[in-house]
Amino acid sequence: MLFRSDEEIESWLRRKGIERGAVLSLRRVWELAKRWYADRMSADFRGRTANEAQAIFRQLGLTGEFWL
Amino acid sequence: MSLKPSNRDWQIRQHIYARLVGTGRAPSTDDIAEHFGIVLRDASAALQRLHDAHALALDESGAILMAHPLSAVQTDYRARIDGRWLYANCAWDSLGIPAMLGCDAQIEALHPATRQPIRYAITGGQLVSAEGGLVHFAQPFRNWYDDIVET
Repeated sequence: MLFRSDEEIESWLRRKGIERGAVLSLRRVWELAKRWYADRMSADFRGRTANEAQAIFRQLGLTGEFWL
Repeated sequence: MSLKPSNRDWQIRQHIYARLVGTGRAPSTDDIAEHFGIVLRDASAALQRLHDAHALALDESGAILMAHPLSAVQTDYRARIDGRWLYANCAWDSLGIPAMLGCDAQIEALHPATRQPIRYAITGGQLVSAEGGLVHFAQPFRNWYDDIVET
């Protein structure tokens, strides 16, 4: 979900009783989207393994338990 | 144990993406069967194999719900490409549409609380506007395919 500030996220999580997950700037999500989706319409696309997904996360510095 | 998608299954997936991008609507199982000259049962089985491989997502009736980053139903996230709106599954996928198509896009996301649109765009490969925008990912990666709708 997209918010305008971290305060908005915290308010939303409290209201919904949801635990905080990971928060990325929209700019960083654009970088993730380019790596994740650039090949999605290729005739050669055959899905992505967990290892391949995690390699993309590491390229963007997304490490830690949430991204494993 | 589910079977892996066949080469024809992947061709069916290509067809689904082309239809979604071109029209904003996913083909029905009947449409797919007719297009590929196969019986309905085989078209349904192909969709199920693609679903099992996380190459698309079906709803409970077996209809196409998501072909990431595209949504077959209206959502809170949409990208305008060449004058038509394409729906995305989430904030990430709203950027996934221009990333996949390699094109400019004007994007609207409804704020989860206020329901007011937040607008941003991809122009020449760059994200413009929506300064300060933050995306909350609720589920860790290991759970993404357990409940793809809530992820």
